[in-house]
Amino acid sequence: MFFVTYLRRELRRRMRQAIFIALGLAVGIGLVVTVTAASAGVRKAQSQVLKSLYGVGTDITVTGKAPKAPTPGSGTSKGGQTFQVGPGGAQVCTNGKCHSAAGQSIDHLGSDSYSPISRSEVAAIARLRHVKAVAGGLALTDTSVTIPKNFGKPGSPLPTPNSFNVQGVDTSHLSLGPLSAGAISAGRSLRGSDATSYVAVVDSGYAKTHKLKVGSVVRIVKHAFTVIGIVAQPQSGSPPQVYIPLARAQALGTALGKSLKNDVNTIYVTADSAADIPAVQRQIKSLLPGDTVTSASSLASQVTGSLSSTARLANDFGRWLSVVVLIAAFAVASLLTMAAVARRVREFGTLKALGWRTRRIIAQVMGESLAVGVIGGAAGVGLGFGGATIITAVAPRLSATIASSTGPRIVSGGGPGAATRSFSPTISHTVAVPMSASVTTAALVAAVILAVVGGLLAGSFGSWRIARLRPADALARVA
Amino acid sequence: MYQLTDVTKLYVKGRQTVPAVRDLSLQIDDGQWLAIQGRTGHGKSTLLNLLGGLDRPTSGSVRFDGKDLGRLGESEVTRLRARSIGFIFQTFNLVPTLSAAENVEAALIPLGVGTAERRRRVSAALDSVALADRARHLPGELSGGQQQRTAIARALVKEPKVLLADEPTGNLDEDTRDEIINLLEKLWRERGLTLILVTHDSAIAQRAQRVGVMSKGQLAVGPPAQGTAGGSAG
Repeated sequence: MFFVTYLRRELRRRMRQAIFIALGLAVGIGLVVTVTAASAGVRKAQSQVLKSLYGVGTDITVTGKAPKAPTPGSGTSKGGQTFQVGPGGAQVCTNGKCHSAAGQSIDHLGSDSYSPISRSEVAAIARLRHVKAVAGGLALTDTSVTIPKNFGKPGSPLPTPNSFNVQGVDTSHLSLGPLSAGAISAGRSLRGSDATSYVAVVDSGYAKTHKLKVGSVVRIVKHAFTVIGIVAQPQSGSPPQVYIPLARAQALGTALGKSLKNDVNTIYVTADSAADIPAVQRQIKSLLPGDTVTSASSLASQVTGSLSSTARLANDFGRWLSVVVLIAAFAVASLLTMAAVARRVREFGTLKALGWRTRRIIAQVMGESLAVGVIGGAAGVGLGFGGATIITAVAPRLSATIASSTGPRIVSGGGPGAATRSFSPTISHTVAVPMSASVTTAALVAAVILAVVGGLLAGSFGSWRIARLRPADALARVA
Repeated sequence: MYQLTDVTKLYVKGRQTVPAVRDLSLQIDDGQWLAIQGRTGHGKSTLLNLLGGLDRPTSGSVRFDGKDLGRLGESEVTRLRARSIGFIFQTFNLVPTLSAAENVEAALIPLGVGTAERRRRVSAALDSVALADRARHLPGELSGGQQQRTAIARALVKEPKVLLADEPTGNLDEDTRDEIINLLEKLWRERGLTLILVTHDSAIAQRAQRVGVMSKGQLAVGPPAQGTAGGSAG
């Protein structure tokens, strides 16, 4: 009780100094809490982005390597479907055979972003150590182009392709992959019995735009798929627009003119535990050296847009700013505590003369420092909550983009000797997520630890002085 | 009570070694009142610090109830100070943030006395110096004389064997000085204390049983005076 009375009175006497120290610590701790909250918000946003791109529960994603695009003039020697305009007019060439394209519609379901991976590799990955579940998928793009009859004549425009993303879903592993992240808003999801059916689940945004509902029909490479469900993905952006059974996608899809039967181009993997992810990633890289093996953490580094900028801001600048402010706050607190101890030398000398042990006096000073630290910590947590609230209120939605080139490559030339033009529809996975900085338990624990450390650090410098204090010298000091 | 034998205390100041106390031998009996006089810088306070265990002699021995203070560990000396030695300072040395009662209570903290017992003893101590009505006042709200009386209560509350007073009236006016000395003398008589009092004031020194004069670190002590307080105290 006496300890508390003495501590309270002393803090009241040094109220201005105590407030100054506490405020310094509060600013430092508040910054740490805010930055930690922002980082947690960014991590959450990243997690949401990754989930929306690759689905809930997916630890590792394997995608086939990017295929080599046909170069202009290389013709169709590799079997890809190209559209060419030459002296003979507009032509569509498939597997080396060309015919007039004027007025024709081209519909193509292709995997031009990723090379195919044999389905047997899915089974091989499933046998690896620490692999919990594996599912193959086909990320395809349905592109349809109608060639104008006057195409190729001087001044004629390029045809505008219509394209949408089609995801071939392994109906025996529905818990993995992009469909797993969504919520069915109408109808039902795919199921095991749909494996070979012409049924589709449509993204809610796509369904709204194209006025699709359960029972509607979507055409993929001229095949009619009945819409059995509408799925709402957690974030807006560019999720696959149509989900069909993997077997159907394999039957209809091509990659550079070759059928994708028995192939996938994306493999979704779940590890036994988070700690096993790096090891599983290494094993898959070793098994499929040419393909891209991406974990959530490595995928995060590929994300561009304001989300990655914010992540860098929070993780780099914010963290260092917090550290610098904290060090400054600790230094100021320590110096002021030492100055306070210096002013109280006679007081401590008197207490020693009264028979107070050095450690009791140190405990008194440490207690005072700790109290200031805790007050600063509490204020810091308050500031942190305020900072997090402000960030959540004013932060714009963050966009994350993973760009990929997809769809058939269209090559055109204006005639002999004329410049060749080519383009390929680029589909970017862009996700917009709200930035919500939420104060985590870890941040609160960090704040408490920092407050205690700050208080103890400041007190320890003063205590070091007290421990060295000889009572006779202390009493000889002029007050 | 005290047995000092060939005590020397040297202070090193830069390259110089300054003898504050030189080859001092002295015996102070239980219940005796010794006044020490002398000019500033001749070792009075150093001697008091040695007697209180606040400093250690460079050579020689300071024995208190048979224990050599120079050879005791820091914690033992601290315990001895807490139990047996009371200090009174010229500048009172009260903790400014604590009330008169809390300042007195501070002397009981190292003894581990329970709260209720502490309150009882503090109340009695303040009563004995006629400050019961000022118990809740902070030192800044008390006069010099009241502050010194608080300091006396703080020194006596633990019922020490010896009271070491360093110029206890040095900061007080004449009337207050007399009031404080009368109080000290009364308490000394009533409690059978050993009182060692450093003073510049010959009038005060003459009231002691024995008077010693410090000069250049050496003490010349006269015989117990007749007709003094000490004489009557026997």
